[in-house]
Amino acid sequence: MNKFLLLFFLPLSLFAHLNIAVSYPYIGALTKTIGGDHIETVVLAKGNWDPHFIIPRPSLISKVRNADALIMNGGQLEIGWLPPLLNRAGNPKIEPNAKTFLNLSHHIGLINKPSNVDRSGGDIHPEGNPHFHLSPQNILLLANTIKDFLISIDTEHKAVYEKNHSEFLSMWNQKMKLWSEKMANKKGLKVIQFHDNLAYFNNAYGLVNIGTIEPLPGIPPSSKHTIEMIELIKKENPCCILHDVYHSTKTAEFISEKTGIKVVLMPHDIEALENINDLGSLFDHLTSAIK
Amino acid sequence: MKKILLASTLCAVLVYGDAAALLPVEKRTFDQSKYIPDISAILDFSYVNNSVKDDEIAHLELPGVAHGLLGEHSHGDSNHATYNAKNGFNLNYAEVVLSSSVDPFLSMDAVFHFSEHGVEVEEAYFTTTALGHGIRARGGKLNSNFGYLNAQHHHYWDFGDMPLVYEAFLGMHGINELGGQIQWTAPTPFYLMAGFEVLQGTNEQMFGNESVDIEEFSGVEEDKIKGTSAPSLYVGYVKASHDIGDTTIAGGVSYAQGDSMIDHSDDHEGPHVFNGDAKLYGADFVVLHSLDSYSSIKWQSEWLGRELDGIQYNLETFINPNMNKKQSGLYSQLIYTHDKNWKMGVRYDTIYKNDVVANGVNKNMTDDFNKYSAMVEYHTSEFARFRLQYNRNEAMYNEDGNRVDIDTIMLQANISIGAHAAHSF
Repeated sequence: MNKFLLLFFLPLSLFAHLNIAVSYPYIGALTKTIGGDHIETVVLAKGNWDPHFIIPRPSLISKVRNADALIMNGGQLEIGWLPPLLNRAGNPKIEPNAKTFLNLSHHIGLINKPSNVDRSGGDIHPEGNPHFHLSPQNILLLANTIKDFLISIDTEHKAVYEKNHSEFLSMWNQKMKLWSEKMANKKGLKVIQFHDNLAYFNNAYGLVNIGTIEPLPGIPPSSKHTIEMIELIKKENPCCILHDVYHSTKTAEFISEKTGIKVVLMPHDIEALENINDLGSLFDHLTSAIK
Repeated sequence: MKKILLASTLCAVLVYGDAAALLPVEKRTFDQSKYIPDISAILDFSYVNNSVKDDEIAHLELPGVAHGLLGEHSHGDSNHATYNAKNGFNLNYAEVVLSSSVDPFLSMDAVFHFSEHGVEVEEAYFTTTALGHGIRARGGKLNSNFGYLNAQHHHYWDFGDMPLVYEAFLGMHGINELGGQIQWTAPTPFYLMAGFEVLQGTNEQMFGNESVDIEEFSGVEEDKIKGTSAPSLYVGYVKASHDIGDTTIAGGVSYAQGDSMIDHSDDHEGPHVFNGDAKLYGADFVVLHSLDSYSSIKWQSEWLGRELDGIQYNLETFINPNMNKKQSGLYSQLIYTHDKNWKMGVRYDTIYKNDVVANGVNKNMTDDFNKYSAMVEYHTSEFARFRLQYNRNEAMYNEDGNRVDIDTIMLQANISIGAHAAHSF
């Protein structure tokens, strides 16, 4: 059996660098941190764009065609753009059942799984909220998943991946303490969002989301719903509107004008805002954004 | 008493029936529900107002290029209509799409067009998933990847009707054939793809290989214009794309060559058959600039040129000249996507070259074919869109050779349910 496994992994170990395609920048950063010099990462989606809507440019086909492995977020976040790329690439290594394919959502407990899946409820994710990387605890789980994945496809560098992983672990644990301290007095704070993409962040620090500017997931704001939100804000007194960087803030600013609550831009991924260039700075920013 | 018995039996059946149905999926011994393929249904429905009546529109033609392009035509039992053919309401289709992986080596897709006149297999093919090296093979009934628009389904187009040059040269389905396709994506840092297809060659407007029976015209028993053997259509193309910042530039060149048998023996006036060779050249160019996640500007243009060389059999006069046709046209469209709700665009269509030479004599056919379109779309979500389109068609001629301009207003609803459609670029 071992011999057979060895034979199976032999062709992979011949690559000096593993070329790993990942759907989003955060996965790229995490994979690069653990993979170190032994891997190259190619990020498909840009960090300042809506992760649900990526144009399947032909250049992305080349990127997955030339990849040795693929790591995706999953939870149907990529459903609208990744399948046609994989379909065109002619690369069995990035087919969903390949050993070199990783769907991160299968290794995380997703929250807000809808009990009733019907599009009259908007463009909902049947498997639950897929924006799970915005909880620092989940980053630990994801790092561990990616470490195991890299070892499984490149056993030769097991020691390196484990070392990089444990270094990341201790760094991240220290940071998590800082972030928890920073966020300690925010517990129980009510917030409004555009789309519930901070569900995991809110859970991690005890923020309570009381409503979204979009009436239903994926459905643009309507005047009726906006008026309802204004009423809700006047009644519930949330601290602020936590707004993603890719939707227009027009409606949020209108609500802010009518109610006096702040609009706070919350980056969802690396490169979402100019100064966010790694996972640490992403959470540094998120945990200091709410004043 | 009988009633009571009946009622109680019915109740018993209902109770037991329910009990069986309530068994959870994972406990049903031979349950196969997990293997149901991805299913979606797409409805395309329109309201059309043409400035020309239906009877008249069906008789308009592009002289020397195509006739029977617009409107609805009946050939015996079969009914042929282009999209949005009639004044008033049109059910263009109710499309059902099934797709799933077959095994670790193949996937399969099937697209059925249901209309009021029956069902058509629009596409049904298997695709390899395990060949590697950037190679993908496909077999079955498929839309050729010739050009840019041809491989896309109607519901993905930015206008409700096909570009003039496409519909005139290839008909409303484009190159939609039985056959095999092989494509190779090169291991380059930019996108480079080459493909080759061997197809049956049964396109009504341009390609064909089936013999045509002309006994009723010549009176000679078993008189036929002899066809060739299938497959008789070969298609090749190279496509490339590169990104510059938020701008994607994509282009391709395509070539199709095949036997031609254009059967107009059923025509009431001047029945004829063309038999010979056909060549089709294509060049496409697309620039897409993204302004943000939802907003973009897309400029899409395609040029098509064809050459038909053979004999035209005029079945009433029996004058059968050698015919050579060289025809070219293009469309160019600019689409602005404002946000998730609004999209608008304009399109220019033309066929600018129409050299028809019979027995060495140029017939000086008109080459004045133009069409202008504008549209605005409202999307209630990714799954439903409503499009208002205006066409000014200055390309159609009546039987006396006079141009008949057509103004068309079209309100189209395109609605989909089921599996999330993910379209390629």
